[in-house]
Amino acid sequence: MPNSPNPSVSHLDQASTGGDTVALISALRQLLPAASVIISTESQRPFECDGLAVYQQLPLVTVIPETIDQVQAILRLCHLHRVPLVPRGAGTGLCAGAMPHAEGLLLVMTRLNRILEINQETCTARVQPGVRNLALTEAAAPFGLYYAPDPSSQIACTLGGNVAENSGGVHCLKYGLTVNNLLQVTMVTIEGQLMTLGGGGLDEPGMDLLSLMVGSEGLLGVVVEAKVKLLPRAPRVQVLLAAYDSVTAAGDAVADLIGQGIIPAGLEMMDHLAIRAAEDFVKVGYPTDAQALLICELDGTDAEVEEQLALVTECFKKHGAGHIRIAKDAAEAAALWQGRKAAFPAVGRISPDYYCMDGTIPRSQVGHVLTRISQLSELYGLRVANVFHAGDGNLHPLILFDASIDGELERAELLGGDILTLCVDVGGTITGEHGVGLEKMPQMPYQFGDAELAQFRRLKAAFDSDDLLNPGKAIPTLKYCQEYRSLQHG
Amino acid sequence: MGDLTTQLVEQIQHAYATKTPLSIESGNTKTYLGRQTSGERLDMAGHSGVISYSATELVIRARAGTKISLLQEVLAEQRQRLPFEPPSFAGQASIGGTVAANQTGASRPWFGGVKDSLLGLGLINGYGEAMQFGGQVMKNVAGFDVTRLQSGAMGSLGLITDVSIKVLPEFKAGHTLTFEMNADAALAAMLRWANLSLPITGMSHLQGLLYVRLQGGQSAVASASEFLGGELLELKAAEEFWQAVKEGRVLLPQQGQTLWRWSGASDTPHSALPEVAFINWAGAERWLLQDNSTSVLDGLTQYRGGDRLAEVYGAIDAPQKALRQRIKYAFDPHGILNVGRLYSWM
Repeated sequence: MPNSPNPSVSHLDQASTGGDTVALISALRQLLPAASVIISTESQRPFECDGLAVYQQLPLVTVIPETIDQVQAILRLCHLHRVPLVPRGAGTGLCAGAMPHAEGLLLVMTRLNRILEINQETCTARVQPGVRNLALTEAAAPFGLYYAPDPSSQIACTLGGNVAENSGGVHCLKYGLTVNNLLQVTMVTIEGQLMTLGGGGLDEPGMDLLSLMVGSEGLLGVVVEAKVKLLPRAPRVQVLLAAYDSVTAAGDAVADLIGQGIIPAGLEMMDHLAIRAAEDFVKVGYPTDAQALLICELDGTDAEVEEQLALVTECFKKHGAGHIRIAKDAAEAAALWQGRKAAFPAVGRISPDYYCMDGTIPRSQVGHVLTRISQLSELYGLRVANVFHAGDGNLHPLILFDASIDGELERAELLGGDILTLCVDVGGTITGEHGVGLEKMPQMPYQFGDAELAQFRRLKAAFDSDDLLNPGKAIPTLKYCQEYRSLQHG
Repeated sequence: MGDLTTQLVEQIQHAYATKTPLSIESGNTKTYLGRQTSGERLDMAGHSGVISYSATELVIRARAGTKISLLQEVLAEQRQRLPFEPPSFAGQASIGGTVAANQTGASRPWFGGVKDSLLGLGLINGYGEAMQFGGQVMKNVAGFDVTRLQSGAMGSLGLITDVSIKVLPEFKAGHTLTFEMNADAALAAMLRWANLSLPITGMSHLQGLLYVRLQGGQSAVASASEFLGGELLELKAAEEFWQAVKEGRVLLPQQGQTLWRWSGASDTPHSALPEVAFINWAGAERWLLQDNSTSVLDGLTQYRGGDRLAEVYGAIDAPQKALRQRIKYAFDPHGILNVGRLYSWM
């Protein structure tokens, strides 16, 4: 079905003239309630992109199943007719991983949104993939528990999407990413078969297929249920803020703190531009003259927090913190976090468009990389605001641009590409938590050699030999890599 | 100590060309695990040494043949440790084998398994291609997680050549408490205490005693200790106990016996399994000894002893089996790497 004789003719056009699309839609309508099959352009418009809106594409048809049986039936149908399929949750991803396929189905998982069980005794939860990240933490709160991975999009993003992207968040420094908080998934294979990975205990004997599924960006299967760990709420949480007159000094403070063996629950950094944008937006009293700001969260028992607070304060002062603010109560702590959590929309207010990068680097390279980013920023003539998870070296440079100005988007993408290759050059990676999707495909052959990429493709084929699950994303084809390299060297 | 990657690549390329099965070996401390295999010996012991270590980055990278004991020495100089508490088997166990066998100690429920500390690795696949996956940074989602896939794969998907591991600071204080109680009461206590944000790093039950290990900052350990009560176990006895736990030799099968391991949800009632003699991981891991004449226990791993040509990791349904065979083929199309070690059919 996807092999259109003339690539410029879309399948919707074919649909109007009959053809396989009509048969597909009619088959889907037999499997699903009418409201679950969306074909009009207008109704599909909200689904044409994820959080990286510069990549847009309307799917052939959008389906929103309500049961696991329906998901299985949809996958069986796609497998039988060799129709590409893109799974998605809330569409908050930032790498165009959930951008639809022009000749395929968009499988929206948000209606499978039930929390099936919260087990207070074992500190675990079983959830459907459409459950929102924050909804799980809210549901666990009466039991004194919470779900640790907390991406900035946690109010909207779904746990199925979190599994697909191995989402992190500000607290993953101490409590790990999705992969460290997941005990089991049930997925549907491209053949429509249900398969459970992970024994439900701590370790399943044999190869770790559960971890392989995490971060696989919808290329290996569709998650329909997950069992996750919940953590008991720490008796005390303490937030503090430290201001520096250079990003290098702040970076050194971070390296020193971690090197001393102090692992805060969260340790975030913002640079001057990001501080100003955030303060203008939320007005929480950030020192706007500072060149860098560290936000640090400590948790534990009263005694542990007191012990750590003394060490952290001493360390921050040693590296020249000009101003240290220790939150007096939960309200002030929330306010200090609010600026950081609102940093992306805050930057959105000072620029018509912005482009968020996601490289991760060794902590010792923070000063060097930020200096180099500021040189690149001047070279390309585009401002860059830096907000990042300093504790684990995960940078989020926000490139400010105006898409209405001819060539600015292209310049922003080039600058972004340079930042990512810079991260690889210093021993880091092109993506810490946002995923490759469609966006970072050009950098994959920079990070990996031909043998690794071929291994990824063979692994993909072990799950999906017809390349129907989210094709064209995450893992570049051999042809793609050859073209990329010839461009680089040409 | 040295880098033998070139020779290892050549040996595997030759085995690929001649379809010769290879049997990977280093410290020879895990022959009791998995299925019995045959094959030309591929010796990793010489491929050893720390490649890089940065205490402030909390990352150590070492060749696969490096002894766990050496890593522990190097880390101890900077007052750091391997978070997953692997067994060193009298200094003979290597880091590559530890990762392949996914061997972790009593702290597993609180500090994670091998996969939780594993950041990246070098791998030679069954074609004889040397590859690198993951890296030395804390967060990395580029490409499929081939790194973690290797933990527990028993060398069946590739020869691990080097590993990068996240390390943590040593505990400042620690001790072990014991409580006299039966298994049912111990399971209930484990569930209750695991919920309380206490600095617990081990909870096991053996012969009428519940062992609780506390490790962390001075004040946290002291206040938790006061809260829990119990009897303080003498330091040397405590160290011996937790070492036996991580080396999987709390229970040892006699001639004609098999040691079985169960892994599952910690609230599974004691009565759900027959004759559990040792409970570990706060109830998530349980161990029992059975005479070989008794039938195979569904859902359990035949850990030590018994027929080592049987499916020691238990039965797997047809779709799961087919998927694992396809994954094996993706890494090792000629079936030369530790064939049959994990399952008879791959």
